[in-house]
Amino acid sequence: MSFRKITFFFFFLLCFVKCSEASEPGLESLQREIHSLTKTMAQLQSTVRSQTEVIQKQSIRINALEQGGVQPKETAQPAGAPKMTGLSGFNPEIGVTGTVQTKLTQNSSDTEGNDTIALKELELNFAQVVDPYSRLDAIISFNDAIENQNVSIEEAYYTRWGLPFGFTGQIGKFRSKIGKENLMHLHQLDTTDYPLVIKDFFGEEGLASSGARLQNTIPNPWDIPFEITGEVLRGNNGPSFSGISRRPIFNTHVKTYFDLGKDANVELGWTTLFGDENPPINGVTPAQGQDRYGVKVFGGDMTFNWFLPEGRKLKWQNEIYFQNRTHLVHVNSDPWGFYSLLDFKFSPKYSAGIRFDCVEPLDVVGQHTRTTGISPYLTFWQSEFADFKLQYSHLEPANASQKTDNLIMLQADFLIGAHKHPVQ
Amino acid sequence: MKTGKFLMALMGLLAVTSPVWAAGKIKVATTTSTFASLVKEIAKDKADVYFIASPNRDIHFISPTPKDVMKVKACDVFVHAGLDLEAWRVPLLDAVGRLDLMGPVGERQLDMSKGISLLEVPTSLSRAQGDIHAFGNPHYWLDPVNGKIIAENIAEGLSRIYPQDADFFQKNLQDFERRMDEKMKDWENWVSPYKGAGVVTYHNSWPYFTERFGLVTLTHVEPKPGIPPTPKHLQEIVQIMNEKKGKVIIKEVFHEGRAPQKIAKETGATVVTLATETGEVKGDYAALFDENIHRLVEAFQKGGLTR
Repeated sequence: MSFRKITFFFFFLLCFVKCSEASEPGLESLQREIHSLTKTMAQLQSTVRSQTEVIQKQSIRINALEQGGVQPKETAQPAGAPKMTGLSGFNPEIGVTGTVQTKLTQNSSDTEGNDTIALKELELNFAQVVDPYSRLDAIISFNDAIENQNVSIEEAYYTRWGLPFGFTGQIGKFRSKIGKENLMHLHQLDTTDYPLVIKDFFGEEGLASSGARLQNTIPNPWDIPFEITGEVLRGNNGPSFSGISRRPIFNTHVKTYFDLGKDANVELGWTTLFGDENPPINGVTPAQGQDRYGVKVFGGDMTFNWFLPEGRKLKWQNEIYFQNRTHLVHVNSDPWGFYSLLDFKFSPKYSAGIRFDCVEPLDVVGQHTRTTGISPYLTFWQSEFADFKLQYSHLEPANASQKTDNLIMLQADFLIGAHKHPVQ
Repeated sequence: MKTGKFLMALMGLLAVTSPVWAAGKIKVATTTSTFASLVKEIAKDKADVYFIASPNRDIHFISPTPKDVMKVKACDVFVHAGLDLEAWRVPLLDAVGRLDLMGPVGERQLDMSKGISLLEVPTSLSRAQGDIHAFGNPHYWLDPVNGKIIAENIAEGLSRIYPQDADFFQKNLQDFERRMDEKMKDWENWVSPYKGAGVVTYHNSWPYFTERFGLVTLTHVEPKPGIPPTPKHLQEIVQIMNEKKGKVIIKEVFHEGRAPQKIAKETGATVVTLATETGEVKGDYAALFDENIHRLVEAFQKGGLTR
């Protein structure tokens, strides 16, 4: 091969290599440009789409105005998280709930509330997130009682989320997790008063106490909801745990739930409380020789819900409690009681129901000595924020010295502001 | 000692077991069946989806169950309507106790109202107006165009949390948008003969739907949101419908039927139950509008409306 041919060969080879090198960045640059054009095209398409939207909406609005009728007003303001102005966004949610009750009774005793109308309770509630890990809820209640007119802390508790193993903790004063009704405030009940067994065992409005609570849902391979709650409560609370006690009340509650088809469900719960009795002996308290945790309360609850067509709902709720205790403070060492409540919401404005009560009280002994009661009621729902209840109760007392009582109660509940009830 | 052993066993159980969601899938809990179906459009078989509000019940008044708490506690992503439609959402999340699911900044909660142009934003707030919604009418998913925005929110949220699957979500989003654009033409064709027709709705859930399809809302059976109708208000509705020749009354499955039937009897109108959730029609998001428009057109035809 001649020198000239070799030279030309290498020259072409060099040109080829140089062209290849030059085309690679050129190719990349072309690809980048195509990518950029594609993005711009996508953005333009999106703009055209939204402009078409606006034109369509305006033409629909014009047509509708020409026809007449209710027209929705649109704002250019997009949705998403609500906007707060200034420091007011940090203010707590505030709500007020009022309960006014009228009670007419055959009972001749001059007990507070008999044959009178009273502001039974005015609750002022505050709630707000404290920080990314916790929140505070507080309910202060006022009443118009003559003898015990006062302000009291109904509940005030701090909730801490995200504890180890998924626990949620609460400290403060709260309604103890006993059954179902004890968790509710008066205005939340289906009836105008708490069941007899709750009143006799835990107090006129159930048991609310300072303490600490831990709660969790236990995962399990059967996909069955199983919630556990453990509480340590201040002693000397409620009729069952009376007296002065430096030893706390321990409460555990377990709850499970089952769907029965798509329109019904049942919830089952079990409560166990241990506490002291603290009998005053020789007028000296704390008493010596008292049994440690001599009061044991066991309870079961069952609630069945059936959702019927057109917004109607049937609820059947039951709770039963047994105690095992010494009889140094209360004469009955094996008190027990239950209630069964049936509630039917049969229209947007009305619900009706009936509750049956039976309790062998703490302070009455004797064979088959029970207080029983039957209480039918009717509720008128003026709106979600105001309702009126009318309840008749017939009571047969366990105490032989007391007479049968017939009561009529009329209760009005109303609320303003923010008000969210915890999941029960 | 026995208590100690029990507690140790409990801690062990908590540490090692987990609820039965489908293994290997993204566990998504949504507040409604409509959001659940849209999650399925975007995530397909990569997600196991659970919804809280039963489709046959009024979403304003759901009581979360222990099962809902359990499912949400174990989910990977929580999808909700935002705004103030689901008043039960905050108590539910308090019971669940997971910071990453709590709005507005929880990184695993997705607010579907993002980017929606809201209708009926109130200029003042008072319960004298009934149970109004403070941020605007929250029933936005009843406009199929908003359905695309909701799907975009789902795709964007899932892509952020699971970037390795972002391309998959985006592709499914584009497929969904394409299908919705095609279906939109059908729906507009079906409704077009009745554009401008007046309807009465039980609750004010339908402004996005009526605006999209060119219908006119004459009034509502509820005199104010959440307030049951009075006999006087029913008479006013009868008068309006007779004047404006309204022939269709729209109610939802959980609304009582007596008041609408009474109005229908006096005006010759037809009462039609429309679905607000995909769970009611047992289909996907497009099936919701297929069924609703089909029922509506039948109702218009029964009422003698033709063009």
